Amino acid sequence: MTPFPDIGTWVAALLTLFALSFLYKDNPLFRFTESLFAGVSLGYYVGTTLNQTLVPNLIKPLTHDFNQNWDLLVPGLLGLLLYMRYVPKTGWVARYALAIYVAYYIGLDFTRRIHGEVLPQLGRAIVPLSHLDGHTIFYSLVFAIGVFSVLIYFFFSKEQDQVTRRIARVGIWFLMVSFGAAFGFTVMGRVALLIGRLNFLILDWIYPLIGIR
Amino acid sequence: MAGFVDTLLNLDRRWLFLLVFIGVALPIILPIGLPVTTTGSTRAAFEHIEALKPGDYVIISFDYGPSSAPENDPMAEGIMRQCFLKRVRVVVMVLYQLGGLQLANNALAKVTAEFPDLKYGVDYVNLGYKDGAAAVMKRMGDDIVGAFPTDVRGTPLAQIPLFKGLHSLKQVGVVVTIATGIIGEYWITQAHQQSGVPIIIGPTAVGAPKYYAYLNAGQLVGMLGGMKGAAEYEKLLAARYPPLDRLYKTTHAFTATKGMDAQTVIHFIIIVFILIGNIAYMSRRAAQKRAAAAR
Repeated sequence: MTPFPDIGTWVAALLTLFALSFLYKDNPLFRFTESLFAGVSLGYYVGTTLNQTLVPNLIKPLTHDFNQNWDLLVPGLLGLLLYMRYVPKTGWVARYALAIYVAYYIGLDFTRRIHGEVLPQLGRAIVPLSHLDGHTIFYSLVFAIGVFSVLIYFFFSKEQDQVTRRIARVGIWFLMVSFGAAFGFTVMGRVALLIGRLNFLILDWIYPLIGIR
Repeated sequence: MAGFVDTLLNLDRRWLFLLVFIGVALPIILPIGLPVTTTGSTRAAFEHIEALKPGDYVIISFDYGPSSAPENDPMAEGIMRQCFLKRVRVVVMVLYQLGGLQLANNALAKVTAEFPDLKYGVDYVNLGYKDGAAAVMKRMGDDIVGAFPTDVRGTPLAQIPLFKGLHSLKQVGVVVTIATGIIGEYWITQAHQQSGVPIIIGPTAVGAPKYYAYLNAGQLVGMLGGMKGAAEYEKLLAARYPPLDRLYKTTHAFTATKGMDAQTVIHFIIIVFILIGNIAYMSRRAAQKRAAAAR
């Protein structure tokens, strides 16, 4: 006996159809679904922030063992200060908290970018060709030409002359190929989402509804 | 001819939507079983996990939400199955706030049901969600328990047998980040660079191109790019493990391999319409030039 789709499946299936109905034309069912989705997402976001971030990381440690966790008052207070911007007279206080957050992220991201991105990528771009086999030399050459020509294309401090203009032209070709590859991947990703939705509609809703499987 | 070309160029786009809809729905109803070829980056990921020994640790980080689940779910499930078949211990964690935990719970429940002899706390653990992705990774580099004092059920990690010998990322065989957005990048540029832990990434197709640079620089041991990468992984799993071959062939549930049938059909439709659109456009332009020359 095939189980009849439950209420959750019905709601999800109908909302999926309402969302897809926009492809035919704009309509109230689509608008309803769009608003519902925005509202539910916001509610979910607030709920998870409260239950999975604030409660376990701030409220619980403070209430269970204040002596060991009193230092959490500092980030808690900084978080509260951010909301002072809604009080016109004391809005400036929020800037202090914001400044600390910005400084934190700059510090964290600066080392991450340099050590995790710039240096390893540069290291790969300047491998000695003499130590590589013919196959790898070809790819390394293409790689090096691509990096060099694209860098020239994005070098804006000096007006381009005849030579640099031609190199920049090669850079544009490299960029176009990469944009094409990115677009192809994007199409594949978007189609995958449609496949996921239709799989749900057919396998989880229509099939049980008509008694298949 | 001119009338036909004009009809093509002015075709209501809703006909194309309908064609795409049919192109996706038909292969789901009547699977074609088109072949999937594997790429080096997916094979490298597969072989890295194959090379792990029973008892080694793998972290699977669910860094995606429901919006990319059709691409990412099959990756997470496939890698989990491989780990459990090899008796590699799996630590599941979540760094993506919107729905990541629910997806991790679902995937873990689905796959562990296929391996009834596995024990929670011994063979696998679910650490749940933690906010502040980059900061969490930084802490895990030295002290996993410091980053996740308890698992998803609220049990202190000190009481979980799996964590008797696992203290930092340096002891982990590989971190698999199934990622949408920037969290995958954090694993590479922060966790890998600081602790040296090998990283495998399963990005969405949209995010895949940027990770080739990391792959090329040796910062990733492997990558499963989008649904295609997931389908490749399923093929490698099915070829190496007969029970999984049976599972993927007999399951009525969604798999990436089945999804690739629809992908291929849609790509064919898109290519055909790009060609038709360009030919029709060039035909009309040539006709306009001829008309202008005749005047």
